Amino acid sequence: MSNPVLEGQSAGASHPILDPVKAPPFPEAAFTILRNTQLRKNVAHATDVIQGKRNKLVEEKADWQELRAAGSALRNHVLENLGHYLEQFEERCTAAGGVVHWARDADEARAIILEILRQEQATEVIKIKTMTSAEIQLNPAIEAAGIKAFETDLAEIILQLGEDEPSHIVVPALHVNRTQVREIFARRMNRPELTDDPTELTGAARSFLREKFLRVPTAISGANFLIAETGSVVIVESEGNGRMCLTLPRTMITLAGIEKVIPRFQDLEIMLQVLARSATGERMNPYSSLWTGVTPGDGPQRFHVVLLDNGRSEILGKERERQTLKCIRCGACMNTCPVYRQTGGHAYGSVYAGPIGAILTPQLMRLEHAQTLPYASSLCGACYDVCPVKINIPEILIDLRAKVTDKEREEERRFFDPMYLGMIVANFLFASPRRFRLAQRMGRFGLRLFTRKDGWIHSLPSIGARWTMTRDLRGLPRETFREWWAGRAAPGGKRGR
Amino acid sequence: MSSSGGSREEILGRIRRATESAVPDPAASYAALQRYYVRVGRVGVDERVALMIERMREYDAEVVETAPESLPETIAAQLAASGRHTFVAPEGLPATWMPAGFEWMIDRGLSTGEIEKADGVVTAAFCGIADSGTIVLHHSAAEGRRVISLLPDWHLCVLRASDVVETLPEYFARCTKAPGLATYISGPSATADIEMTRIKGVHGPRFLHLIFVRDERA
Repeated sequence: MSNPVLEGQSAGASHPILDPVKAPPFPEAAFTILRNTQLRKNVAHATDVIQGKRNKLVEEKADWQELRAAGSALRNHVLENLGHYLEQFEERCTAAGGVVHWARDADEARAIILEILRQEQATEVIKIKTMTSAEIQLNPAIEAAGIKAFETDLAEIILQLGEDEPSHIVVPALHVNRTQVREIFARRMNRPELTDDPTELTGAARSFLREKFLRVPTAISGANFLIAETGSVVIVESEGNGRMCLTLPRTMITLAGIEKVIPRFQDLEIMLQVLARSATGERMNPYSSLWTGVTPGDGPQRFHVVLLDNGRSEILGKERERQTLKCIRCGACMNTCPVYRQTGGHAYGSVYAGPIGAILTPQLMRLEHAQTLPYASSLCGACYDVCPVKINIPEILIDLRAKVTDKEREEERRFFDPMYLGMIVANFLFASPRRFRLAQRMGRFGLRLFTRKDGWIHSLPSIGARWTMTRDLRGLPRETFREWWAGRAAPGGKRGR
Repeated sequence: MSSSGGSREEILGRIRRATESAVPDPAASYAALQRYYVRVGRVGVDERVALMIERMREYDAEVVETAPESLPETIAAQLAASGRHTFVAPEGLPATWMPAGFEWMIDRGLSTGEIEKADGVVTAAFCGIADSGTIVLHHSAAEGRRVISLLPDWHLCVLRASDVVETLPEYFARCTKAPGLATYISGPSATADIEMTRIKGVHGPRFLHLIFVRDERA
């Protein structure tokens, strides 16, 4: 890579791939990243800070568990009645002057948005951070149509100018430190005088974008919530770039997953209380905005909402997996996950990383891609504990693992997979006590070759190396418990058994 | 437009098939949802105001209190202390809130260019939420269009103590009708995107001032 700044922060020296179709399997991507000490330091620092703030605020909230229960029940209720609430949202939003579009998949969503941009004769668009837009790979499509897309969230500018990819759904550039940001801004904004002081860097972003906010007449956003009762859209943010984009342009295009709807305005009293605390460890994020269709004299006078399915209705139909769609994208599960905290987001090969990504991405891909993600977890359950809407992520991970295994069983390549062959052998051995005892004896004999004097195995060949690569294995003892039990002198002088 | 009715029907059809087992009456099941969280606050107006002030100071907003009769002088003092001169006012801002000695740009459809040139803005607020230190704007005539409390770098907001609620659910209970537009401000624009260091003032106003009008005391 010709870009010295990016080296050592993305997967090896290559650009991180967040398209699950093209991304390498998780273990492969993680292996490269784990050797990147700078990235691991950056990720550990950021996740520690957010987690610390989040835990403090959750502790002070005496009714936290009641809020979680209410949030969970509300999101379940929405999913059970999704069609009803979407139709209501469409009707109210349309009555308020908005135009509602429906997109079955990523291709259709991109086509709809490009068509609107063509009608607007747009040459540039400003964007509020939206993970859904990354899910449908919108920016490359916009650029290919000859339209310039400007990200306006500070983290997203860092990534866009640094030709990097998001590694977290709330703090997308947490893997980049101030020195790296300074390098990117100095080069891409042509500001060699910048220091690595975050205040100065933030100031540079402010002046870089100010002129674009005032000039560019078309904006694209995601949505935190769609309100069925009123047809309103809610966006939650910190910097004010969202307010700029949803106030100043002539035209606003909002891209939202179909699961984003909530029944009534009043339901925000649950969602806003749990979201900011979980996402950034704040009692309330600095800015939240709500708008309804078009308001004469105030804000964009043309407003489009694109409702995106892209695999969601399929997840909705699966009893256990349905709860995946309750997610409000707070990122708390990522900050607490012992796997994410080591690898950061890029290893997941999708814009949705961490525990929620490990269940959402393979499902959005219909298990045709990202099959390794359900295994990117120790099943410790920390993600379930912090989830503000009580998604039982470990349960879904286990279920998806079973589905991946079922799928692989039908595939030819299983005959060449040492793991698969190992499992067949293990199945055969464990099925009979006699065979098991025999295997134990053989194992003890075989492993003696690898056991050092200190009683530890430091290195194994072939598939065993996957274990000894990062940790030692205690050598097998001279006798098993059963052998010892059978051979011990019983207290009464009799032989046991 | 490329969004054909076909896609709408197809998506809604898929959703209907996926949720076939659902209860047929959404309204009844919505009404039955359990909400055991805290809805009503417990403290009196003095403590409520004190909590709101504490929360706002935590995120670096400037807060002063005033008696209703001295509001005009308090506003004048705040404006003078800011060292700024040109201020935008929403069309419905009370005339007594616009002290002499400053240049006032009343928003009767000001252009963004004009608003951008102002040094600051003075607005009313719909209500305040003490628990999170949140100022709520519903963009009425005295609160102004969204753009005027966004572009100027300095925002002075006037809030009556009687309009401060303790909890977020109490704010929703106050809304007899859902607003078409709303902005919830909990501190000046901020970011923590670079190494989780909180930086004040990215795009919205960098300076947020609040005047509490003590129209109600315990």
